[in-house]
Amino acid sequence: MKNTDETLDLEFTPIVDAIESHLIGKRHAITLTLASYFAGGHVLLEDIPGVGKTTLAKQFCSVLGLDFGRIQFTSDMLPSDILGVSYYSQKEGGFILKKGPIFTQFLLADEINRAMPKTQSALLEAMEESNITIDGSSRPLPEPFFVIGTQNPHEEVGTFPLPHSQLDRFICSFGIGYPDKASERSILQGVTSKPLKKEKLLSHEKIIELRQRAKDIQLSDAMLDYIQEVIAFTREGGRFEYGLSTRGALALTAMVKSWAMLQGRTYAIADDLQAITGVVCAHRLKFTEGRTTALRIENEIFTQINSDT
Amino acid sequence: MPYLNTLQDTKLSKLHHLDIAYIAVLLPLLLIIKAPMLLFMGVVLALLVLRKESTPLLMTLMTALGIFAIFLSSYGSFNFAGLSRLKLFLELLIYILIFAVSLQRLTREINFYLLLSPLLILALSLFFFHSVVMLGYVIVEIFVLLWVILSFRMQGSFQETFKMAGSMFAFSLPWVIVLFIFFPRISFEHASYGFKGEGERRMGHDGTMFLDNNALLVPSNKIVMEIGFQEKMPPSNQLYFRGSILYLDKKDHWAPMPMFVQRSYAQGYTSIEESITYKVTLYPTLKRWLYMIDSPQKAPKVDNHKISIDVDFISKTQKDIDETLHYQATSALKYTMNTNIDETTLNVALDTDITSNPKSWEIAKNIKAQIKDPKKRADAIIKVFKQNDLTYTLKPKALDLNNSTDSFLFDKKLGYCVHFASAFVNMARMSGIPARVVTGYKANPSNGIQNYLVIKEKDAHAWAELLIDNRWTRYETTAWASSMDSQAQELLDQQSNTQTSQLNLYMMYVKYQIETWILHYSHFRQLQLLDKARKDPLFIAQLVGTLLVILLLSFMLWRYFRQPLCHDKLICLMQPLLEKLQKEGYKRADRETMHQFLIRCSQEYNKNTKEIDKLYEVIRYGGDNSEETFESLKKLLKAFK
Repeated sequence: MKNTDETLDLEFTPIVDAIESHLIGKRHAITLTLASYFAGGHVLLEDIPGVGKTTLAKQFCSVLGLDFGRIQFTSDMLPSDILGVSYYSQKEGGFILKKGPIFTQFLLADEINRAMPKTQSALLEAMEESNITIDGSSRPLPEPFFVIGTQNPHEEVGTFPLPHSQLDRFICSFGIGYPDKASERSILQGVTSKPLKKEKLLSHEKIIELRQRAKDIQLSDAMLDYIQEVIAFTREGGRFEYGLSTRGALALTAMVKSWAMLQGRTYAIADDLQAITGVVCAHRLKFTEGRTTALRIENEIFTQINSDT
Repeated sequence: MPYLNTLQDTKLSKLHHLDIAYIAVLLPLLLIIKAPMLLFMGVVLALLVLRKESTPLLMTLMTALGIFAIFLSSYGSFNFAGLSRLKLFLELLIYILIFAVSLQRLTREINFYLLLSPLLILALSLFFFHSVVMLGYVIVEIFVLLWVILSFRMQGSFQETFKMAGSMFAFSLPWVIVLFIFFPRISFEHASYGFKGEGERRMGHDGTMFLDNNALLVPSNKIVMEIGFQEKMPPSNQLYFRGSILYLDKKDHWAPMPMFVQRSYAQGYTSIEESITYKVTLYPTLKRWLYMIDSPQKAPKVDNHKISIDVDFISKTQKDIDETLHYQATSALKYTMNTNIDETTLNVALDTDITSNPKSWEIAKNIKAQIKDPKKRADAIIKVFKQNDLTYTLKPKALDLNNSTDSFLFDKKLGYCVHFASAFVNMARMSGIPARVVTGYKANPSNGIQNYLVIKEKDAHAWAELLIDNRWTRYETTAWASSMDSQAQELLDQQSNTQTSQLNLYMMYVKYQIETWILHYSHFRQLQLLDKARKDPLFIAQLVGTLLVILLLSFMLWRYFRQPLCHDKLICLMQPLLEKLQKEGYKRADRETMHQFLIRCSQEYNKNTKEIDKLYEVIRYGGDNSEETFESLKKLLKAFK
């Protein structure tokens, strides 16, 4: 993946640095996760086991000072295992809710495609609505609520691939990939073996403020034109089986804004769109021919649609 | 932004492309298509506009309607003899084509003849229109067809393909001109492809001259012929175009010498001091005369026509002129001639009825007795004309045709050229001078520009020729009218002064120049051009200069069309910078944004583009539209090296 986060704003550099100290060489993935978080979306990590998906999640969580929750999905899991159950308490003389693991600010949903569709959709609906309904009563999830889902794209036996409509609920999806040679060497030397630091770099109020700031990033007419061209291309360019949905388009804009904020700007530029289009569209689009990857999507779109013309 | 445009669904379908092509090529044909066929086309158009489905019933109905329309349109002219007439045949062809195309278009399916027919119709319409306007329109048509084809094949936006077609046009322009000058077409001027041409009956000169009241002058602005002089136009008193020579006074009209009269050919030029060469475009007259300035030297040559010239220097074709003729003629303006008039001609030229015009006879007899010199006798007759206070009018009172000379000179005293000429010739004959009436055209110099002259129906004229000193001398008989009635005066004023007629004349002149130098550009014209170039070095310079200017113009046009469309003020502002950088070898890569490119330039090539980038970004994405920011960006761009 391109190293485009050189221009990261000083305000966010310590955060990324702190996470990177345990995930060496994965600055881009970290920045993307951060951008998704401020954009108010959820992230789908698609990669093989052992490249640092969980490490990223955990370190992210500790740096931002969030409650950490984790669910390891299995095929026998039921929705109540995630959401919780209400049971009759004789002591209390009424129904009491036993909250499931989803009641947390940060949820790592590991190997999401192992669960049955019923369970999957319980999670995904909760992600979308930010509150859950158990036995007819609605309960809000903690604010901000953030999910990192992971799935292993290469294992197919005993998995239930997420349907397109469900995937759409994740704002972006990307892999972490193998570290480069130098980074791997320092990992092997044991740089990352010390325990995770429990330092909190952002307060709750700051997070809420940053999320709001991301929403307020300015999109000029030129930028909106450019975004709309990209959307139109996915729909009418003839290269994809289906185009970007309106939710996808909203995700694209939210990510563009959030990314622009991380670069320290109050407005978004064409570069921001180029940086995030691949990861936003990777799980939303499908090429009519050949494999769909974020890189290929970016290449196809941006060699056709020039910015600043 | 091609993909943004697709959002608004501005892309045209294939059928729409075809529709545009058909509209372009059918437009001029609407002028010649007959009403029933027009009605049929209207019905088809209505069906297409209403988006009616093409059911078998509808198609059958339309087929029947179409056949009926073709039948009605060619009804009357439809017989096998008629088919030999080129235009009727072509008209029928066009009807059938339109019929087939209309039915196919109604099915909304594209097949090969639907695709091919616009070109065919364009080619066929060229048979019907030869005017300069059509020349211009054909260029437009070709452009539209090129554009439509490009848009059709490339499925690009209409705007983009318009630019492309424009750039192709601009690119081909100098080549077309160079090829045109150096490779003239085979002249098709007289080709009729074995078909008979069409003609239009015209008035004006017709070989006899009537004196009766039916001969009311209707001043017509119809053009008889156009003259292009090789050099300067001769003065007004030389612009007499000889039509026919009338010898026989038949009381109510004058007639030429009958064909059976044997006349020996004894006239010939002994020397020619001044002659003039000119090109004539004679429009169909359905008569046989070829008009030339007095006095023609020899019969002109016209392809497919056998042209004879008689003793009186009258040129005639063997058949009626039913198509536009182009011929080159040479006339002598100052010359001497050996004129040994044969007895027969002389007798006829002196033959006059003295009994029916006693008053005239009385005067003529006296003149004959008192004056010996024929020239002085003629002067004496002129004096009589002047004394009698004759009025030139376009609406004379009816003369007593049994004694028309007396009636005109001493009674009615109203007339126009024929009456003057007739009376004068009669008087001359009575006084013993051989005389004859000449009819033809007297050009009005106000209908000319430089070396170009238009001759209209109303320029038809009659004058007299007297044999004096063994030589036919022209007398302008109407010059002796002492007054002119208001109507004739009005006519004279009208034709020379109004601005519209002047403008019209200029248009004709331009049209004529285009016709001679473009439409009828031939090997002959090419030689003429080369000849002129050889004689006149300045002309070569002018020609080369013009070619260079055209080259430059088309290059600029080409450049203009090649430039990407500038939708955005800011992008336009940045364009020169990008071009500058590109010249130095720094090109924006395919996927590169402006920001990335400018940063790259500043980092890798040490260009001071960072500041520019900042301002550009603020304006384009930061929403800063203030004048100051624009100005400072402009300043930076100006200062950029």
